[in-house]
Amino acid sequence: MTARSLRGFFAILSAVGLAACGANSANEAMPPATDLDRSATLAATCSGCHAGPETAMISLDGLSKEVLSDAMHRYKSELDGTTVMHRLARGYTDADIDAVSTYLAASAEVE
Amino acid sequence: MGGWIGRRGVLAGMSAAAVSSLAAPEAFAQIRTRLVVIGGGFGGATAARRLKALLPGADVTLIEPNATYMACPFSNLVVTGLRDLGAQIFSYAELSKEGVTVARDRAIDVDAVARTVVLEGGATLSYDRLVLSPGVDLRWDALEGYDETTARRLPHAWKAGAQTALLRDQLASMENGGLVVMTVPPAPYRCPPGPYERASLIAHYLKTQKPRSKLLILDAKDNFSKMPLFMEAWAELYPDHLEWRSASEDGRVSAVSAADRTVFTDFESVQGAVVNIIPPQRAGEIAVRAGVADATGWCPVNAISFESTLQPNIHVIGDASIAAPMPKSAFAANLQAKICAIAIVRMLSGQTPQPTVLANTCYSYTGPDAAVSITGVYTNEDGSLSSVPSAGGLSPLAATDSVRAAEAAQAEGWFSAVTAEAFG
Ligand SMILES: Cc1cc2nc3c(=O)[nH]c(=O)nc-3n(C[C@H](O)[C@H](O)[C@H](O)COP(=O)(O)OP(=O)(O)OC[C@H]3O[C@@H](n4cnc5c(N)ncnc54)[C@H](O)[C@@H]3O)c2cc1C
Repeated sequence: MTARSLRGFFAILSAVGLAACGANSANEAMPPATDLDRSATLAATCSGCHAGPETAMISLDGLSKEVLSDAMHRYKSELDGTTVMHRLARGYTDADIDAVSTYLAASAEVE
Repeated sequence: MGGWIGRRGVLAGMSAAAVSSLAAPEAFAQIRTRLVVIGGGFGGATAARRLKALLPGADVTLIEPNATYMACPFSNLVVTGLRDLGAQIFSYAELSKEGVTVARDRAIDVDAVARTVVLEGGATLSYDRLVLSPGVDLRWDALEGYDETTARRLPHAWKAGAQTALLRDQLASMENGGLVVMTVPPAPYRCPPGPYERASLIAHYLKTQKPRSKLLILDAKDNFSKMPLFMEAWAELYPDHLEWRSASEDGRVSAVSAADRTVFTDFESVQGAVVNIIPPQRAGEIAVRAGVADATGWCPVNAISFESTLQPNIHVIGDASIAAPMPKSAFAANLQAKICAIAIVRMLSGQTPQPTVLANTCYSYTGPDAAVSITGVYTNEDGSLSSVPSAGGLSPLAATDSVRAAEAAQAEGWFSAVTAEAFG
């Protein structure tokens, strides 16, 4: 497992509440640092809407870093955009868009 | 998947001591980290699940007196007959499956020095870190004549369940022509746009079912959340069925008389056929017992970790916390829970919680198939929350029906996502 896919694996575990991990993990404690850094806290906002079954809120699972970050940049740059995502994207720096896109893409990578 | 040792490579930045103390093998079960969460609502249920997911080896206990949770978001649709109350009910079964100990009990005291929680059932639990998400208590001392008994005649429906059904049934059995009165408290209170969403849906109900009736809103404020959007919708859709009276127009209600369903402003009294009192609120009583509420009745926190600024090792999230400009919403409670869980794990491993960017979106229905939204983006850089300038804002004014319908569909999507996050 590469470091990148491992990171994705853990992100998924936390996203699904570790249900799949079973007894094997019962005595293991600290999650990897990537689950605890700024990108994890940024992504916590996304899952407020983009979690659970796919609805009018699209699922972010399986989207690449490029797709996610392009979408965020497009929302951010469309100054006349009025959707919730336009209003949200304006609050994020390019560095944060990069960090959260990397984190979310890694979460889905191993599926 | 490799064993724990194989994964150490990714633990950049974790101290070896922290890892070994928290990665205790079975033989050292007595030193397992004890995390207790009080309140199984949007904040507490999310926090308990996240803590267990991040720290599978820790003992995570959720204390909640009710067997199931009744969600407030979308309950305004229930009040007006557009949704079943059953669609608001969520269970804790998934939390139990994931290894959270769900204690069906009420916390009656917290000793912040001994780090213990006393339960109504008699047990005392010790904690390393405590998360409080008790939501709001209605202030029964704030409006003369309004208490738990009179609320059975003049429903608040500001906690979902029997009160929601009561208001629904009163509206349903009201005669065509009856006046509906709603009173709105001063800020802060749970769900700032909630009263106006309810007003819109009640007006829609009256317009379609009881056209000779009308809703009068008596407000303790002059401004409210999403005001331009609600005002636009009301003028267009409900000009004959809804009247809003601001504080400056004598809208502030200071007393009620349940017997004749009358409310009193400074200069007037108004009698309604149905009277919905949304009373002033404060943090749930257990926050006072724990010593984390201040003179305002709410709980000051460090907004990076959501740790109380009054008591160490106790975190307060959700409606009970002082997080303005973040509103008291289910979206905010869910997000604060996730940020708080990450902060707690970092603190347990000797790391400082990091500041971040947070956001909130609240949808409100203005009719059965139309919704509007408010979005805010916040930073907690200096330990308190502030809005990121130039981000956030409202749905556009003068939008097409399809824009409003799209936001109604998003509202439904949000509800399934946030309830899946909290309850699985
Ligand atoms: C009509 C209405 C509409 C709303 N619509 C929306 C919306 O569209 N979007 C949105 O984001 N928000 C909405 N909200 C707001 C949302 O319901 C709250 O912000 C949210 O529930 C707050 O979560 P919480 O965890 O702080 O509290 P709660 O969800 O109220 O949970 C608190 C829990 O703690 C338990 N508890 C309390 N004291 C104790 C104790 N001593 N021991 C053990 N357990 C205890 C309670 O039983 C309860 O289960 C709405 C609210 C209302 C009233």
